[in-house]
Amino acid sequence: MKFASLVKNRKALIGLILFVLTCLLALAPGLFTTDHNPGVYGVYPPNLGPSTGHLLGTTSYGQDIYSQLVYGARQVLQIALLAGAFATVLAVLIGVTAAYLGGLVDEVLSLVTNVVLILPTFPLMIILAKYAGQSNTVMIVVLVATGWSYGANQMRAQALSLRNRDFLEAARVRGERRSYIILFEMLPTMTSLIVANFLGSALYSVLAASGLQFIGLGNADAQSWGTMLYNANNAEALQGGNALWIIAPGVAIAVLSAAFALMNYAFDEIGNPALRPVRRKDLRRSRRAERLAARDAAHPNAEKGASDVDSDLYADAS
Amino acid sequence: MSTPTSTPTPPDPDTDTAAGTADVGAVTGEPLLDVRDLRIVYDSARGPVEACSGVNLTVRPGEFVGIVGESGCGKSTLLFGIAQLHSAPARIAGGQVLFRGRDLVTLPPKELNDLRWRDIAVVMQSAMNALNPVRTIGDQFKDAILAHEKWSEERIRERSAEVLRLVAIDPVHLRSFPHQLSGGMRQRAMIAMALLFTPDLIVMDEPTSALDVVAQRSLMVQIKELQQQLGFAVVFVTHDMSLVSHFSDRLLVMYAGQVVEFGPTRTVFDTPSHPYSASLLEAFPSIRGPKVPLTGIPGDPPNLAHPPAGCRFHPRCPQVQERCRTEQPELFDVGGVGGGAVVSRCLKHHPGNPLAASVESAEPPKPAEAEVQPS
Amino acid sequence: MTAVDERPEAGPAPAGAPLLETRNLSRHFKVGGSLFSHQLLHAVDDVNLTIGEREIVALVGESGSGKSTMARLLAQVYKPTSGEIRFQGRDLAQLRGRSAQLKYRSDVPMVFQDPFASLNPVYKVSHGILRGMKLHRPDLTTQQARRAELLRVVSAVGLNPPEEIVERYPYELSGGQRQRIGFAQALAYRPKLILADEPVSMLDVSIRIGLLNVMAKLRDEEGVSFLYITHDIASARYVSDRIMVMYGGHVVEQGPTESVLADPKHPYTQLLLSAVPDPRAPLEVTTEAAKAEPPAVIDPKPGCRFRARCPLAVEACATVTPLLQPVEPAHKAACHVTAPAPGA
Repeated sequence: MKFASLVKNRKALIGLILFVLTCLLALAPGLFTTDHNPGVYGVYPPNLGPSTGHLLGTTSYGQDIYSQLVYGARQVLQIALLAGAFATVLAVLIGVTAAYLGGLVDEVLSLVTNVVLILPTFPLMIILAKYAGQSNTVMIVVLVATGWSYGANQMRAQALSLRNRDFLEAARVRGERRSYIILFEMLPTMTSLIVANFLGSALYSVLAASGLQFIGLGNADAQSWGTMLYNANNAEALQGGNALWIIAPGVAIAVLSAAFALMNYAFDEIGNPALRPVRRKDLRRSRRAERLAARDAAHPNAEKGASDVDSDLYADAS
Repeated sequence: MSTPTSTPTPPDPDTDTAAGTADVGAVTGEPLLDVRDLRIVYDSARGPVEACSGVNLTVRPGEFVGIVGESGCGKSTLLFGIAQLHSAPARIAGGQVLFRGRDLVTLPPKELNDLRWRDIAVVMQSAMNALNPVRTIGDQFKDAILAHEKWSEERIRERSAEVLRLVAIDPVHLRSFPHQLSGGMRQRAMIAMALLFTPDLIVMDEPTSALDVVAQRSLMVQIKELQQQLGFAVVFVTHDMSLVSHFSDRLLVMYAGQVVEFGPTRTVFDTPSHPYSASLLEAFPSIRGPKVPLTGIPGDPPNLAHPPAGCRFHPRCPQVQERCRTEQPELFDVGGVGGGAVVSRCLKHHPGNPLAASVESAEPPKPAEAEVQPS
Repeated sequence: MTAVDERPEAGPAPAGAPLLETRNLSRHFKVGGSLFSHQLLHAVDDVNLTIGEREIVALVGESGSGKSTMARLLAQVYKPTSGEIRFQGRDLAQLRGRSAQLKYRSDVPMVFQDPFASLNPVYKVSHGILRGMKLHRPDLTTQQARRAELLRVVSAVGLNPPEEIVERYPYELSGGQRQRIGFAQALAYRPKLILADEPVSMLDVSIRIGLLNVMAKLRDEEGVSFLYITHDIASARYVSDRIMVMYGGHVVEQGPTESVLADPKHPYTQLLLSAVPDPRAPLEVTTEAAKAEPPAVIDPKPGCRFRARCPLAVEACATVTPLLQPVEPAHKAACHVTAPAPGA
């Protein structure tokens, strides 16, 4: 059902196509190029222009740029998906736990989340990556460590709004364990937020990983778009008249990011109506309220928070 | 559809007898509000769903009209249609909403905006959702005023305090935030806000449903008092028929998007002409008298996407006859049973039908084309 | 399963103890709170409640009267500030271990107010019932047995055809149907007592009666007791055997339903009764008490909490908290004026 609506949405469709394309490059680079070792120096003459033999020309080290681009997809994608997934898992764990348990646990976890959130992440990443050495694992750890906090805040907010819903209280009164309630009652209602969060984290990881690689903190042995940029920059490709060496990986990074971003937006659009059974009534109420508000030129935000305040005084006072 | 005949009705100070002077079709002078054959549909993926099927309704100046029905019967949709507050996927598919002779359906948005709040105000079900939680009551009143008038700070303050006093709230609460007021006070503040420009018509969508019995009763009394004092007309939507019994002049009963009965409140209560109205009346337990087992109304309201053939109430009707399953009843004139005209959408009132209980009258004895309109 | 007809209202419980009773049950909440000072909201104060077997007890009061807090205390969502809850003679505070807790939860399930929020929207409506069986019905060992019981409870609450209903998602059901699912869920545990927190207040008037009839049917046919929490005294009259009126966290009147409603002693009960819209009766406008503010239950001082709205208030009401005094056998009221303490 969700897949079908994903295809119907134009943003989603474009994003999906770009993403699938990148996946194909990553899974079977051999299908797209005959040069299976694009990292080897001096195979071709340096600094060739585009031609049928070298679609994007060659680097000043005599490597085929197109082949490098094809082989570079795998690492970027790997990092993006793994880091995105781990960051999302961490965000869900921390955000939902904080919201559900409340009290001191919430205070501590929120504090940690907010501190990480306001840390200047890129400098931190540089330090971490520099310190821990240069490998994909380090890169992923660094990205997860700096990338989970935004999502955790979102998860916490959503979980908080769910926390006092009757169906969770019903599960508690039924005698369910906490872990069951969080995993099987709460998380399923948060699916679309979780997916959106994953896509957002993946996007962030693409950009951040490429950034780190660009300044030379990536795994220099593996082919990657960020590393290509690093090499091109070191070789002063732009000054040397070999602009494609820089432009090609730059465009590739932008395209993959766009794919994640488009799917993210689309999922937001599709995901919210999908959530309707949860809050069809709230929506209707808030729409009414909005109409009212619009008419007396008042204010746009007479919605969710309001009905929470309205709920049983005692439930809130606990 | 309406033929103006008798004298204009001033805001009637006496509720319970006002019903007696009411006459459904014959509208006095110019009606304040005249809804004609209003049809509102919701566009859905599976085609349009008609939530309001050809509703006729007149409201005279100073009159209190109650609209009752179960959830999903289209009563709130009708109310939104009257105030032109509906938004996609709902749209007006036909008919007119004449307010003082002007059709709100075709009125340009700007003129509509001028009209609303000044002349037609709306009070919603949940004040907490309609009020902005982070701004004071006074600020919100001010916004409402400034949207229509360029009044001075002084005048705004005075008027705000004045309307709050009208609903028996101390004006110090202009500085309060909504959450600092009790549920009943918030609802009264909403009504005060509706009164800012002393409108001619206030439409209310279950304004008391979030309140408990005592607060509910007190709010109803207050609305009635204000109405008598200021002379505005009220269209009041509720699912609780008993609530409006002492307050409305005329009562419109809706079922599955249609008007099934419309007449003076007292008459409808004392001698309900439509089986649905009768069932609704039977549906709540009495606090006095002997305790009798009640059945409520079995089943659920129909899905408006596929309303039942024939009379829409027939699957739940205790008096269903064979022809009800196939024949769609018109709104028949029941006559002045209790002093005012009542219309009812039940085949037992079909002219020529030997009244009620002839369960198997072989087949419809009549061609059944008598176009009886509520006029 | 012996029906307890003569219920002792207080004092040491003789043989045939009630199904559930509370003794001086109180629950206070901290409100407003800075680090150095907080106020205490007395949601429930010194409530003695008894519920017998096969009995529907109505707990009536306005919002803020503490009636929902009572339900949550009994459902063990909140812990009492003081006092005790005894179920089948045993103090709940003594319950140790998850299995004892689960046993209580299966004996005393709860039905929630808002049918639109009490079912998880991502699961079919059978989800909660099946989960409940998994937790509370070890006797149902096979898939088939659970399925049969599922269909039984769903049709027992008047949802037909059950095979079709259980396959639906919550948004495919009307409010009344969803609330019936709530009852079916409780019924699947083979409960002794169902806590019903305003189960019909969000439903249309026209379908409320159906739900109330379900409650009466479950009492008669399944032997379940109910604590029916409501602000609608007319529906309380329709379905309950005994009634308990709460105001500002105190019980102000209690007794057999007919006795209380025929001859209400406490002025608040009288006010509640007069506020019920009755189209068959002429309108009596008594807005004086109705307009007043809700009771002060934050750091309350001794005295009757209804006094600010009370037409009968005397001096003692402002200083001495009235206690429940018998006015008739089994009918008690807490009012200095209408039910004075003996010797006062």
